[in-house]
Amino acid sequence: MLIFQGGSSAQQSPEQMQEHMGKWMAWIDKLNKDGKYVAGEPLLPGGKLVSGKDKVVTDGPFTEGKEVVGGFFIVNAKDINEAVKYCDDYPGAEYGGSVQVRQVMKM
Amino acid sequence: MKDYLFLFRGGLNFATAAAEELQQAMTKWKTWMDQLTKEGKYNGGDRLTRNGSVMKGKDRTIIDGPFSEGKEVVGGYISIKASDLSEALEIAKGCPIFNYDGIVEVREVAKNN
Repeated sequence: MLIFQGGSSAQQSPEQMQEHMGKWMAWIDKLNKDGKYVAGEPLLPGGKLVSGKDKVVTDGPFTEGKEVVGGFFIVNAKDINEAVKYCDDYPGAEYGGSVQVRQVMKM
Repeated sequence: MKDYLFLFRGGLNFATAAAEELQQAMTKWKTWMDQLTKEGKYNGGDRLTRNGSVMKGKDRTIIDGPFSEGKEVVGGYISIKASDLSEALEIAKGCPIFNYDGIVEVREVAKNN
């Protein structure tokens, strides 16, 4: 699982945003063509947190700014190194974003 | 109907939990997921191992895991269907993670079309 954190494009002009989206689409297409892409979704900003035994509901995604999860992919890889290698094409890197690469647990 | 992503943070560490506690937790999770499936609300999901890496910033610096510490670590996710955020939150409240002091982050999936 690739978890995308930060790398937000809020300051972009429409043209830059278009170009940025194009990079994401190109990356997905490439992973798809290589048979590596399984699924993924972008997430809207905002949301809620439900916490602890009392199930307290609070506003906003977990942590702020650079840490906020903006979306995720599920990909196939033979090991963690290969999965990390895919992230060379991660378009959020140029905006200071990061990718958390995590191995799925097979049940 | 909208899709919502539940990010499960903290809660029981499956890698270090005692066998009996793990068994109990697994049963609770299975019951919850079966119920969501029966109601047609479950889209899919995965548990994550504690293994992983983070690739960070312009220089693509790689920081190795594992993700062993902290209440904020994402341990899994599911995608569910709900009519709105309120319904999604009600569904989230049934999650067994709250027996183990965990957090569910409820996020609406962005639809491109």
